[in-house]
Amino acid sequence: MSIQKILLEFEPKLENLLRVLKEINKQEKYISESDCLKVAGYFSLPLARVFSLASFFDLMNTRPVKKKIIRVCSGGPCTMKRSFEIIRQIEMLLKIEMGNDSHPKVKLETMSCLGLCDQGPVMMIDEQVFEKVRPETVDDIILDYL
Amino acid sequence: MEIVTKNWEKINPLDINTYIRSGGYEALRKVIRETPLKVVSEIKRSGLRGRSGAGFPTGEKWEISAKIVADQKFIICNLDESEPGVYKDRIIAEKNPHQIIEGLLIGAYAIGAKRAFIYINGHYKKPAEILKIALEQAREKEFVGRGIMGSSIDVEIEIFSGAGAYICGEENALINSIEGKRGEPRLKPPHPPVSGLFGKPTIVNNAETLANVPYIIKRGADVYSKIGPSLSPGTKLFLLEGAVKNKGIFEVPLGTTAEDLIFNSLYGGGMEDGKEFWFAQIGGASGRLMPRGKLDQLLIYGPSEYPIGAGSILVVDKMADIKDLLFSWADFFHRESCGKCVPCREGTYRLWEIAKWLKNNDLKERDRENIEDILWTLSNTTFCPLGNFAAVAWSDAISMFSEEIFGK
Ligand SMILES: Cc1cc2nc3c(=O)[nH]c(=O)nc-3n(C[C@H](O)[C@H](O)[C@H](O)COP(=O)(O)O)c2cc1C
Ligand code: SF4
Ligand code: FES
Repeated sequence: MSIQKILLEFEPKLENLLRVLKEINKQEKYISESDCLKVAGYFSLPLARVFSLASFFDLMNTRPVKKKIIRVCSGGPCTMKRSFEIIRQIEMLLKIEMGNDSHPKVKLETMSCLGLCDQGPVMMIDEQVFEKVRPETVDDIILDYL
Repeated sequence: MEIVTKNWEKINPLDINTYIRSGGYEALRKVIRETPLKVVSEIKRSGLRGRSGAGFPTGEKWEISAKIVADQKFIICNLDESEPGVYKDRIIAEKNPHQIIEGLLIGAYAIGAKRAFIYINGHYKKPAEILKIALEQAREKEFVGRGIMGSSIDVEIEIFSGAGAYICGEENALINSIEGKRGEPRLKPPHPPVSGLFGKPTIVNNAETLANVPYIIKRGADVYSKIGPSLSPGTKLFLLEGAVKNKGIFEVPLGTTAEDLIFNSLYGGGMEDGKEFWFAQIGGASGRLMPRGKLDQLLIYGPSEYPIGAGSILVVDKMADIKDLLFSWADFFHRESCGKCVPCREGTYRLWEIAKWLKNNDLKERDRENIEDILWTLSNTTFCPLGNFAAVAWSDAISMFSEEIFGK
């Protein structure tokens, strides 16, 4: 869907600005500067205002995402359920290091609690959430999804 | 004692009639025959305190907005819930969404708001969907929208989904993000009940706070205020996680001890087999560490050595690696610092670096000496409470377990 079409679904009121950006991110996977420019025009706002909003939040990207991103929850409850062993296991399997961006195709990061602590440890690969992950079985998940 | 979790097994969250059959929306019906100020005074007399963490008296807050004359007012249900270890608001929304909606409608009536928001954590897709369906059904029944229950009262409710930022749970940052601004805290005062969303009087309440409101209206402030301690009445949802046998969500009267909650077979049921209690973290990543000798402390809102926050209790056993936990706490705050003020932006980053070195057994003596300065800076000089939160568990850990952390 074109940006224009997304914009037409929302009135140019301030409380719709974040909603529009989230929708663009959902459809285009990231929000480019030219998208921001169109949004700024539609809402009659300065470009900087729109761009600073788009770049603030975890759930939106302002650059195309070229790598698979594996995220493991580092919250207290998941930590108590061995999430750091899961991280070590992935590091060994893919020969990468958490937080390091040197691998051409994947990146491994920690993430904040998703409020799924009762289903932990929790991991995400891109948008997909995995619950009750165990160090013993994480290899299978990773190999399946990469 | 069940207030919030009552009837959960009888209610189908996707069918409003199951909620109505269990007495749902009777409180709303009762309320719209009273004056708004009467409703405010009932909540005030009940002694209800906010369930988000600080325990601010709900009736007092409502009264501020209720007494202001303004062309527009707002009420917002805070369902941003992103404190590590806390997922009670998600469960309420999934099990009984109408309880939150009814509480929100009563609040809107009490303060005179025609527009309400449910601000929900951007990761909460399933609960958001359930709330959306619940709202549609409530609208069909004329509980939401124009002319509620045949009266001349209008209240519209919208769901606003966040975009992944812990700081947006803070009410001013939350309001900023609805207004399409970066989720950064604002300088207070003015506080939102006076000047909030679009500069209008705005009440922000936690979802669990609102879920208590229908009960208070139905049963009366006198009944409610007699549950638990008089300065902190009612029940609270606690979340038991970590090395405790029964994990999950438990509703108990405030004033229960941590000992009871963790070891009583009705709740936590003691430690997992073969594990020995070391300490419990009360209130999430920003919570204090409670040693065995303090387990008799009452869990309450109000002045207390161990603030209960949103109700998470992480039970840690003697086999746990304290360095992993130190990293877990530092990692969270370094990621979630909004970056507006230097002491928090730099302090959380430095602490995170130190946690990393510590975990890799690579900490230099000089960095070790810096820890206390960093913690002091975070505790005393940051713009909003997030910076203070970042130092709480670390400060306790350093003073209680320095041998385990640094060796002898
Ligand atoms: C850093 C920070 C994060 C917060 N996160 C939340 C949250 O996720 N949910 C919430 O209800 N309140 C949160 N609060 C508290 C809100 O600012 C506000 O006080 C609360 O929603 C009021 O609700 P109550 O009076 O019903 O407790 C947070 C506060 C701070 C300082
Ligand atoms: S203390 Fe942290 S979260 Fe709060 S304003 Fe400063 S940088 Fe932002
Ligand atoms: S701590 Fe991992 S989901 Fe809550």
